[in-house]
Amino acid sequence: MNTVSTIGDRDRLDVDHVGKVVPFGDAVRRRIDGNFPVDPFGFDPHLVDLVSPLFTSVIRVDVEGGEHVPTTGPASIVANRGFGLAEPAVLGIAVRRTVARRLRIVGAPSVPVLGGIARRLGAISASAPDMRSCLRAGNLVAVPLAPTWLRTGAGIPPRPLLQAMANAPIVPVAVTPGGPFGTAIAPWHVRFGPLVTLPDPYDPEDPLAAARFGEAVRDSVAGLLEQQA
Amino acid sequence: MTERVLITGMGGELGTRVAQLVEQRAWAGEVVGVDFVPPRRRLRRAVFHRIDPRDRDKLAEFVENFAPSVVAHFGVYEPASRMSPASAVERTELCTIATMSAAARGGNLEFVVVRSGLEVYGPLSARASVPDEEVVPEPRTPYGRSLLEVESMVAGVRLRQGVPVCALRYAPVVGPHVPSPVGRLLRLPVVPVPAFADPPFSLLHPDDSAEAMVAAIERRYDGALNIVGPGAATPWQAVRLGGRLPLPVVGPFWELTSRVVEIAGAAIAPHVIEQLRHGRTGAGGRAVEELGLAHLVPTQTVLRELFEWADVIPIPTSREAVA
Repeated sequence: MNTVSTIGDRDRLDVDHVGKVVPFGDAVRRRIDGNFPVDPFGFDPHLVDLVSPLFTSVIRVDVEGGEHVPTTGPASIVANRGFGLAEPAVLGIAVRRTVARRLRIVGAPSVPVLGGIARRLGAISASAPDMRSCLRAGNLVAVPLAPTWLRTGAGIPPRPLLQAMANAPIVPVAVTPGGPFGTAIAPWHVRFGPLVTLPDPYDPEDPLAAARFGEAVRDSVAGLLEQQA
Repeated sequence: MTERVLITGMGGELGTRVAQLVEQRAWAGEVVGVDFVPPRRRLRRAVFHRIDPRDRDKLAEFVENFAPSVVAHFGVYEPASRMSPASAVERTELCTIATMSAAARGGNLEFVVVRSGLEVYGPLSARASVPDEEVVPEPRTPYGRSLLEVESMVAGVRLRQGVPVCALRYAPVVGPHVPSPVGRLLRLPVVPVPAFADPPFSLLHPDDSAEAMVAAIERRYDGALNIVGPGAATPWQAVRLGGRLPLPVVGPFWELTSRVVEIAGAAIAPHVIEQLRHGRTGAGGRAVEELGLAHLVPTQTVLRELFEWADVIPIPTSREAVA
C-alpha cells in the first residue's frame, strides 16, 4: 500500500486553489506523460495554468470589492452578461488575482470539440444537477444572468439553477469593458458586491419565494452596474 | 445481537473482499456466501456454498433456510467481465430474484445492500455530466438496464418488508486482480479512443468498493449512493499514463473496433464503449459524508496501479528448459 499512498499524495492536487507555478519544460513533459489532474467535470487546471499567461497579457482587468469573494468553500458568483466571449476570461482573471482560486463557469456549449475544450478550461453545463455537484465539491461557480437588450443591464437569473444556488453564498458582480461604447481599449472593470441575502425563511420549493430570490439577485447586480456607470 | 450475513457473488474478487472485512467485525455472527465459482482468497470464518444462480430453486431454498438478517448482494455480474453479456444478465436477474424473495421469506431480514453502478445514469450529457443521486437514471446499455432492474427489485423488498435498502452505484471498479473489461482494454498495447472527444471517467479501487459496502451495512443507509474515486482521467490521458498507443475511432467504427479487440483478448461490452465515448463520472460527496469514506483512492492512482501490474510472462517449464 506504500505505492498507493505515495502516488495518492501526488494525485491530491488542488483543483480549486492556484498553486505554485510549474516550470514550462516540466509542464510540457507532464502533458506528454499524461501526468496532470482532471476533475469529474473535465476541468484541467494544469492546462489553464499553461494558457492563463496568454490571457493575462492580453486582457487588462481592474478589480474592486475583492474582499467579498470567499477564499475557501463553495459560492456562486452571479454576473451580468455582455457579448459573452471575453467576460468568462475577465472574471476568471479577477478571481485568480483576488483570492487565488479557479473559477468554474456555467454554460458549456453542448457541441462536440468546442464543448470539450470549454470544459477543459472550467465550463460546466447549465443544468441544476451539475451546478449542485460543482458547489457540493466546494468550487467557486460563475453564473451569468440572462442577456438583456443591448446587453447593458442585469438580466434575470436562470430559474432552474436558483434552487442549487440557494445552499451556498452568492456574490453579485458587475463586469464592464473600460473603453468607450463598450470596447475593451481600456482595462475591464470588475466590481464584486456584498453577499446576497435570502428571504428568511427561504423555501426553494416555493415558486413565489424563488421569484423574490431571483429578483434580489438581479437587483444586486443591477445596483453594481449603476455604480460602475 | 449478532447478524446473520449472506453475501451473494462471494466467489468474485469484490465479494471475497467484502467477506474478509465482514468476518472481522464483532457484529457479524454467521457469515455465508454463495456463487457459481469459489473464492480465490483465504476466508477465516465465512462459509462458502457453491450454487449457480441459474439453479434458482436450489439458491432460493438455501437462502430461505439460512434466513439472513443482512444481505450484501454482489451477485450482480458485469457483461464481458467473467462471462458473456447474455449470461451476465441472466445470472444477475436469477440471483436477485431468488435471493431477495427467499431472504424476505426467511423472516429475519433487516437490511439489504446491493451493488449497482454509475452505468444506470446512461451517457453523460448536458442534462447531467456529473450526476448526483437525485438525477433520474436513464440507462442506455444492457448492463445499465440490468443494474437498474436489480435496484428496482431490491426496492420492492423495501416496500413489502419495510426494511432499509441501499444501492451502491459504483464507478467502474478496476484493479490488477479484478476481472474488468475496462481494465483489460486499457492494458492492451493499442487502446481505442474517441477521435474527436476526450471525456472524463472516474474509477473505484476494489478495496474502497468493499469498505463502502461494509460501511453501508454498519450505518444502515437507506437509499442510493454514488461511490466514486476522487478526480478523473480521460481516455487519451490514460493511454499516455500507461505508455500505450492510441487508436482514434469515430462513431460508426466502434462496433467494428469492438469485434477486432475481442479477437485480441479484451471483449468490449456496450457500457465500456459508452464510457470511452461519453465519459462516466458521478458526484460522490454524499457517500463520503454518509458513510465516512474519507480516504478513497484517487482515480489516477487506480489507473497507475493497473499499469504498474506486471505483464504475464510465460516461464519455460523444466522440461522445456532442459530441451
